[in-house]
Amino acid sequence: MDERVFTITVGGRAGEGVKKAAQVIAHIFCAAGWNVCQADDYQSLIRGGHNFSTVSTSQTPVYCAHQNHDLLICFDQRSIDKHLKRLKDGALLFYNSDEAQCEQGIPIPMNSLMKKHYHGASNVSLAALAIFAALAGMTQEQLQEQIVQQYRRDIEENTAYAMEIYGMVSQRCDYGLDWSVNKPFHFVSGIQAIILGASKAGLDFFYGYPMTPASSLLHYAALKQESLNLFAIHAESELAAINMALGSAMAGCRTAVGSSGGGFALMQEGFSAAGMVEAPLLCILSSRPGPATGASTYTAQEDLFFALHQGHGEFGRVVASPDSNNRALSLSAELLALAWELQIPTILLTEKHLSEGMADIGMNHPELPEAKELPGTAGASYQRYAATPNGVSPLVFPGHKCAPDTVVKWTTLEHLENGVRSDSAADIKAMKDKRGIKAKAIQEACKRYQTTAEYGEGELLVFAYGSTVLELREAQKYSQRPFKIIAPIYLEPFPHEKLEQYRGKEVVVVEHSQSGLFAQFLKIKLDVQVKHLINKYDGRAFDPIELAKQIEELQDA
Amino acid sequence: MRDINTDKENTWCSGCGNFGILNAFKKSVAMMVEAGISLDDIVMTCGIGCHGKIFDYLNMSGMYGLHGRALASAQGIKLANPDLKVICFGGDGDSLGEGLEHTLFAAKRNMDITLILHNNGTYGLTTGQFSPLSPRGYKGLSTPKGSIETPFRPIPLLLEAGATFIARSYSARLDHLAHTIQRAVNHKGFSIVEVLQPCVTYYNTYSLYNKMVKELEIVPYNRNLALQLATAEEAFYIGVFLEETKPVYHEELYGSHNPAMDRKASAERVI
Repeated sequence: MDERVFTITVGGRAGEGVKKAAQVIAHIFCAAGWNVCQADDYQSLIRGGHNFSTVSTSQTPVYCAHQNHDLLICFDQRSIDKHLKRLKDGALLFYNSDEAQCEQGIPIPMNSLMKKHYHGASNVSLAALAIFAALAGMTQEQLQEQIVQQYRRDIEENTAYAMEIYGMVSQRCDYGLDWSVNKPFHFVSGIQAIILGASKAGLDFFYGYPMTPASSLLHYAALKQESLNLFAIHAESELAAINMALGSAMAGCRTAVGSSGGGFALMQEGFSAAGMVEAPLLCILSSRPGPATGASTYTAQEDLFFALHQGHGEFGRVVASPDSNNRALSLSAELLALAWELQIPTILLTEKHLSEGMADIGMNHPELPEAKELPGTAGASYQRYAATPNGVSPLVFPGHKCAPDTVVKWTTLEHLENGVRSDSAADIKAMKDKRGIKAKAIQEACKRYQTTAEYGEGELLVFAYGSTVLELREAQKYSQRPFKIIAPIYLEPFPHEKLEQYRGKEVVVVEHSQSGLFAQFLKIKLDVQVKHLINKYDGRAFDPIELAKQIEELQDA
Repeated sequence: MRDINTDKENTWCSGCGNFGILNAFKKSVAMMVEAGISLDDIVMTCGIGCHGKIFDYLNMSGMYGLHGRALASAQGIKLANPDLKVICFGGDGDSLGEGLEHTLFAAKRNMDITLILHNNGTYGLTTGQFSPLSPRGYKGLSTPKGSIETPFRPIPLLLEAGATFIARSYSARLDHLAHTIQRAVNHKGFSIVEVLQPCVTYYNTYSLYNKMVKELEIVPYNRNLALQLATAEEAFYIGVFLEETKPVYHEELYGSHNPAMDRKASAERVI
């Protein structure tokens, strides 16, 4: 099988449909049965600036987008200036000659042609699709079909514009797309996979407040609320979101909240309340470079310890990070199920790269767990915080239809088994012990799921977590010397049973943090000798080929 | 109706206005139950402060929430199971200080829940600092020279925010308060009852209120009059200032659906 990876990049200003064009191209490859990754690089603005969207695709697996282009389509000068140096040998460049000048590449007067074909709002993104369609050998009918399916408005003008550009492109790229395949696919972002997984596990409510790159949790849940049987509520703040979520959980609904670092910081207080009232709650943290407002639209892994230590006070939690879009789907379901099984808050820690990176998660999903409570017996003797051997108290929900003659008291103050406040020494200790013994149940429950992943074989041991694993898996394909990737998926409780074999070993750590937080974490947990730390903290993902080179150079040193 | 008292030792100061609110609330619950509402369907939330202790003195379901956040949790409960009558107790520090945003947004949404605002004009439980409703010049540990802030006026504030039932009562007028609470809970939409509540230790307003409280006989026929009466200086008017019908949030969101009762199991969910 042809193992080549083709990388196609569309660049332009915000509002020009850069991402849309790339996504349509990605869909065409998906339907042909190819493996596809799409990554969007954009700025925190609505119009102008520089956006680009990259599709890397291959007939063999591809794990993340590359940063050197086989095909570059530029709507403006800035896109050329920024990306010209990243053209591969033999790559093709098309550019909008009404906006830009370039000594190489093929000029297309995209603006003049828009003036000719559009009466109202024009759409330059069609130019990229038309160029690609001609290069890939699509027929006019195939191009027309894509326009109708993907751009629902202004079909006539879009078609006329696209067809003229299609006719101007005489070059051909022999990708070897088999048009007869027509494979069903499910091309989703990590965030979309998270919502889908949680929905399957029983999610009823998502409460949030916009913050990039977590906003799409709210957007996708709202968009899909009918088909996914859930409600998305845009609250007045993150404080409201998490406290509303606690209320909904108390009344019997599976709930989740999500934000990026700043918003998650505001949720600290509510997270701690979840620990005290023993609320089952799925929390999604999608990181971007911080501290504070930081760099809104870029990627980072600097919230590792923040996630592990979210909330004040002592209580159990689970923190886990998906290493692929498929894992985002299953892990989200697992974490919602664990939250309900154990009545604890759980955190799905991810980052912009995975949150917004698109991949085909396929049509056949694995069996996903369901979020179910330990059911209690309604009646006068019910006690919300009844002591049990594993610390998990049976749950009933208020209301005469759910639990007649039953008092259900959830309490953020320290309390007795019946939920009434107490601050006697004996009661404080007893309830802390009740929550404390859950630790064992948490540890055992997590073992039911895949807590770590390993990829490849080699003497060299490379540790990573989250979407950095995708960057490493792609790099693995290009590295002259083999290495083994070890990826903890569950971070808390730490999967010692799987990882003790690496205690004290010499390892390489790859991550997106300035101070090497993950390396510090591994030193604490496994006393590993971090021989090399490869850390990138400029907000951008690694280019896999450059990452492969960095790893090779380490070995030679 | 079963006994709704608990054996928790009451630690309010002797003469605290909260006793009046507790007793009036118990009376209103009895009236609600008599009117056919199941006691199991009345769910309360409260924040942190002297008012919050009411949670422990009532053998009823609910959430003893975080300071300022009780109204957010109350909304989450209502959205999950709209069959429940959700009543939130909040102090003036709780609902108009730390949690002001949730109060305004619950009103903005016309969320079908009730806020009982314990207005004692002070932070009782943290030893008498000035509150969002303390008058200018109020002296407390954090304002030894007197407060230099102008207090909020809760009724105009909530009216502007979108509450559809606004009333005021007085903790020492048990029957008036009980009936007002019952009316507020029966109202479909966001209802608030501001309760004038003396704090015997830090801000004793009994003689002021006993002298100045005057009952309204009817609901003012327009908003301007309601505002005038609510902010009048010649008297503290108590009664219903506003009662109007507007679409409620949960019905706008999902009609007659009930998320908690109509949950779909995983097997029925397609992704």
